[in-house]
Amino acid sequence: MRLLLVEDDPNLSRSLAAQLEQAGYAVNAATDGREGLYLAREYPVDLAIVDLGLPTLSGVELIKSLRADGKAYPILVLTARDRWQDKVEVLKLGADDYVVKPFNVEELLARVDALLRRAGGWAQSELVCGPITLDTRTQEVQVNGSKLELTSFEYKLLEYLMLHAGQVLSKTQITEALYDEDFERDSNVIEVFIGRLRRKLDPDSTYKPIETLRGRGYRLAVARGSPDND
Amino acid sequence: MALVRSLRARVVLWVSVALVVLFAVTIVGLDIAFRDSTDRARRELLEVQLLGLIALAEPDFGGELALPTDAIDPQFEVANSGLYGALFDSGGRALWQSLSLIGRDFPVDDLPLAGEQRDFTLDVPGFPPLEALLMGITWEFADGHTGAYTFAIAVSLETYNERQQAFRRNLIGWFLGITVTMLLVISGLLTFVLLPLRRLERQVREVEAGERVSLTGRYPTELVGLADNLNTLIDTERRRLARYRHTLDDLAHSLKTPLAAMRTLLAEQKSRPQEQRHEALERELERMDQRVSYQLRRARASGATGLGTEPVPVAPVVDDLKQTLDKVYRDKRVSCTLDVAAGAVFRGDPGDLTEILGNLMDNAYKYCRGRVRVTAQSTPERLVITVGDDGRGISAAEAATLFQRGQRADESVPGQGIGLAVVRETVELYRGALDVGRSELGGAELRIELARAGLL
Repeated sequence: MRLLLVEDDPNLSRSLAAQLEQAGYAVNAATDGREGLYLAREYPVDLAIVDLGLPTLSGVELIKSLRADGKAYPILVLTARDRWQDKVEVLKLGADDYVVKPFNVEELLARVDALLRRAGGWAQSELVCGPITLDTRTQEVQVNGSKLELTSFEYKLLEYLMLHAGQVLSKTQITEALYDEDFERDSNVIEVFIGRLRRKLDPDSTYKPIETLRGRGYRLAVARGSPDND
Repeated sequence: MALVRSLRARVVLWVSVALVVLFAVTIVGLDIAFRDSTDRARRELLEVQLLGLIALAEPDFGGELALPTDAIDPQFEVANSGLYGALFDSGGRALWQSLSLIGRDFPVDDLPLAGEQRDFTLDVPGFPPLEALLMGITWEFADGHTGAYTFAIAVSLETYNERQQAFRRNLIGWFLGITVTMLLVISGLLTFVLLPLRRLERQVREVEAGERVSLTGRYPTELVGLADNLNTLIDTERRRLARYRHTLDDLAHSLKTPLAAMRTLLAEQKSRPQEQRHEALERELERMDQRVSYQLRRARASGATGLGTEPVPVAPVVDDLKQTLDKVYRDKRVSCTLDVAAGAVFRGDPGDLTEILGNLMDNAYKYCRGRVRVTAQSTPERLVITVGDDGRGISAAEAATLFQRGQRADESVPGQGIGLAVVRETVELYRGALDVGRSELGGAELRIELARAGLL
């Protein structure tokens, strides 16, 4: 998941970016509104975190421009203004949620997580695709009720696939969403990790959860929701 | 007349303009009327004198007409008396000329025919301006023969003109006198009428200077509203100032205590494990954050004066908040029903209403199981708003802490209470009431009642 972070306070921006990256997100950080708009137009983004009080182009203007550009991804607003009038206005403008400064990083991460989930069409924090259950809060994965041990990168990859369950995701898309810019973009790495994930999820090759569409990418082929409920 | 600043100058100016116009018209009218009446009187005098001459005339021995001077009006006999007379025969020969002409000829060339009368003014050298009346008659003598004669009368206009002038002078003098008197009276009256305004101005100045608490004394009915409004404004301003001072004191306290705690924590860092230190710092930061946000939020409530505040419709505010909260609590899928009367209005600052409703509805969304209900009704006297949910409700003990008067919420109620404390304080600014009850939905119901009368 690639996040756009637009925050003008250098300390807050650096620290937030570091913690978001630690949580497994790729982060594009901008320190003013113009730069934020430039990054939003140049790179694919899954979610934007926008501070309202920005130099050169205010947060409000930035959100308006993003929505006018037709960007539909979630926007989370950081603001020091906690009046209800401000909150109402910000959400009316096209933002999806707000976090009032000073905030807890855990709180911010939870909101980001929830917004990404909703954008993927998931209402609950527990993502269920057939036998696979992924809890975005505890970051636990279970297959057929038994817990599965995944590395952090494997977890992020699976979460990305599940959030976009049913969609075809190209290698470039996956690389950009999961890696930082300075990371060497070697598509073989993705192939390796997909292979590992397949072996862990489906060691006996019974239901083949991840499809390879030659030349196009990968798709999580298991339908959303648990088979018992549907 | 934007240049004329003083009320008194304005009144005096406009009254004088009105009087001058009014009196000018009156003077012209009276002058014309006076002239008409003297003209008529003079004409009558001429006719009477002419008829008198005709009555006096009698034939002499020579078969001609003559005027015996013994019975004539003495004015004809006095030199330059201003009344002149003459009798001409048909050939224009003067048979008699009055002594007042002192040897001059009666100034006329053209005689009227018999039976004809002519009236005209004359301006000839050697005479004052004259009005003359000439009448041609045919006299029938006792022996049967007849003769044509002309009787002539002239009167000097000098005295009449002088009288007209004197009348005009009198008129103007009187009216000038009346105008000046009236302006003086009005000016004096204004001083008296404007006295309360001066008092108001003086008192406001004293309030400004801090020598006076409020405007006092009886004001005339026209000024009572203004004085009351000014008092409200002064009172609101003073309360606001007091509130800001308190807030600043509270803020200083709220910030300095955790800062002191953190400094102490840092000082003892060597003796404690890293983990514990972080936790303690985190706690202090949390406390500071809560207090600062609480103080800022309560300081922001304006508690508008009721002056110049348009009634704010409640429905759009509730709708906006519902949309916002539906978005924020999307995962919870709260079913929020609104029952807001179309005419429900809040008399105060729109920001305060949004803040009150925002906090109440946010709490309801947060603590409900799935249902929230907001109602609002207003009568001309009061506005009643309720926000209910189907959560676990607020216990009597919690309510007691919350509503203890003068209780600073940041000292007593953690987290969730701050919103309600801010609501309570804002409602109190409007001299309204906040009550906790049980909702039909099963959870808590918060009820706000704001009286219209409380605003002023």
